[in-house]
Amino acid sequence: MKKTILLQTDFTIESLNVLKTALAQSNHDDNFDIILLHGVHLSDSIRDLLFFSKQKIINQLVSEEFEQACFVIKNKYASKINSIRKDIFTGFTQSAFNSYTDANQIDAIYLPANFQWNFNKQKSFDLIPFMNKSKLPIQQIGWQTATNIPEKGKVAELFFNGVPSHS
Amino acid sequence: MRTQTKTTLLFLLPFLIVLSLFGGFVYFSFLNYSHNDFFRLLEIRAITAGKIELDNNPTANIKEIKELRDQFFEKLPQEKDYFFPLEEVEKFHDESETLGLPISFFENVIKNGKSDFKKNNVFYKGIIYNSTKGKYIIVASAENYYELHHSAYLKRTLFISIIAAFIISALISLYFSKYIFKPLRKITERVNQISSENLHLRLDAGSKNDELNDLAVTFNTMLDRIETSFETQNNFISNASHELRTPLTAIIGEADVILSKSRSQEEYEEAIKIMLVEAEKLESKTRALLFLAQTGFNGKIQKFDKIRLDQLLMDVKETLEKINQKNKICLDMSLLPENPNMIKVNGNEQLLHLAFSNIINNGCKYSDNQPVSVALGASNNSVFVVIKDTGIGIPESELKFIYDPFFRASNTKSYEGFGIGLPLTRNIIRMHLGEIEVKSIQNQGTTVQINIPMYKF
Repeated sequence: MKKTILLQTDFTIESLNVLKTALAQSNHDDNFDIILLHGVHLSDSIRDLLFFSKQKIINQLVSEEFEQACFVIKNKYASKINSIRKDIFTGFTQSAFNSYTDANQIDAIYLPANFQWNFNKQKSFDLIPFMNKSKLPIQQIGWQTATNIPEKGKVAELFFNGVPSHS
Repeated sequence: MRTQTKTTLLFLLPFLIVLSLFGGFVYFSFLNYSHNDFFRLLEIRAITAGKIELDNNPTANIKEIKELRDQFFEKLPQEKDYFFPLEEVEKFHDESETLGLPISFFENVIKNGKSDFKKNNVFYKGIIYNSTKGKYIIVASAENYYELHHSAYLKRTLFISIIAAFIISALISLYFSKYIFKPLRKITERVNQISSENLHLRLDAGSKNDELNDLAVTFNTMLDRIETSFETQNNFISNASHELRTPLTAIIGEADVILSKSRSQEEYEEAIKIMLVEAEKLESKTRALLFLAQTGFNGKIQKFDKIRLDQLLMDVKETLEKINQKNKICLDMSLLPENPNMIKVNGNEQLLHLAFSNIINNGCKYSDNQPVSVALGASNNSVFVVIKDTGIGIPESELKFIYDPFFRASNTKSYEGFGIGLPLTRNIIRMHLGEIEVKSIQNQGTTVQINIPMYKF
């Protein structure tokens, strides 16, 4: 079954656990289009808005390690994943969020049950209030958070995170 | 030729070319203009002459015109006017011969009404004039005063100014090339001073962000690396000789003691056993050293093949569990890519086996046989192997020394080993164009992340 799912990301490797678990729990015949969404405050400066480029903002946020980790997941679930897209959301209102989900034909939202988001407060904001208020089905996913591990921030973090991955 | 001279010439040559083109253009356009102007002047003279000489018009005041001409027209050098009636003579052979003009000149006058000719600075202008007496050809001639004086003056001025500009620009370019190459000469001098005795010397790199500064910084980092490898080499020799001497001293001491007087059979046996243990240590050390030397970058070509890393890791697990029954190794294949081609790398099987078994064995050893997880995954262009243990870890301040041969962290005193494994592994991974990254928290564990470029078809 073809599905488009929405996940919030803060571009840390640990936030990818939601994706990893969601994929592990999915059915065999599922096929996902995945959108990793990040809420970004737009700059007020006219000059910045004049040279606004979505890709440039995303490239600034995404680290090489995160990119590699996405590829690792994509290769692992090659037959289930149709695409992984990183996107930014710059709206302020619930209706903006709703039209975003409508436009992208989102089928479900996956959220971590207990996870400390690591946002840069100046630039980014939490999308979870919007997600909770939207009418889309929300899946909560939990895992054991280990805050103090040697491989923090490295691709290695993806491999051992207490998330059981079957199939 | 020095680069400095080359730059000066390169700067000067185009300048000189542009300057001469400019001068030439000014000179010739001026000349052309002055010729045209002079011909126009002659035409006016010819018409005036025609009016005076040919038109016997009583109404026109010829005397006045003559006065006007004498008063306002400057006398040109060798100014002459000739009049030829057009009806009387059809061919102008005689006239052209007496004046030294080509016959085509007259033909042009008849055809176009006017014609120009120039011979040795004498300019001729011919026109057809309709006088009261009939049609005439009037030829006015004079020497071009402007050509003679002005153009010579212009030529001289242009020539002098070009030379002056050339000299000035030569001086400027010489100064500039000197200024540009000064830091380079300084760098050369400084680098020449540095030899193996004073490797600590560095070039002065300013805070400016220019190319020459980059060069100085590059030289400095290179010197850093040279110095480090020099020191490592020195350390390596002293450490290696020390490491090799310890078992040798033990063997010699044991032999000395046992030979000092006659002993019982048991005592001999025990002494020889001790000597054997020490000799075995010596042997394993020399073998490890040999491997380290072989895997260093010595230009030797190792045979590289297509290897599946999951199989290799299973082999390593089997071998290690055979060596020590207590080793617990968990292969975690949960992130194994679906496409098996993505875990193939181009490598030498023995060397990679050695590298991975070193790391995994370290994990087992320093975590007192707690389980060690080994995971495998692949991104789009490299294969990741992650080895995680929950052992004693490495103190953070010592992490930067772990690749030095014979270095052992301060918390490893109670474990056997002699600090060759990790440098050896790093050499091997580097040979496979991969990267190794060791992250650790003391008393919590160590994670080693290795990525090796994927085999491309």
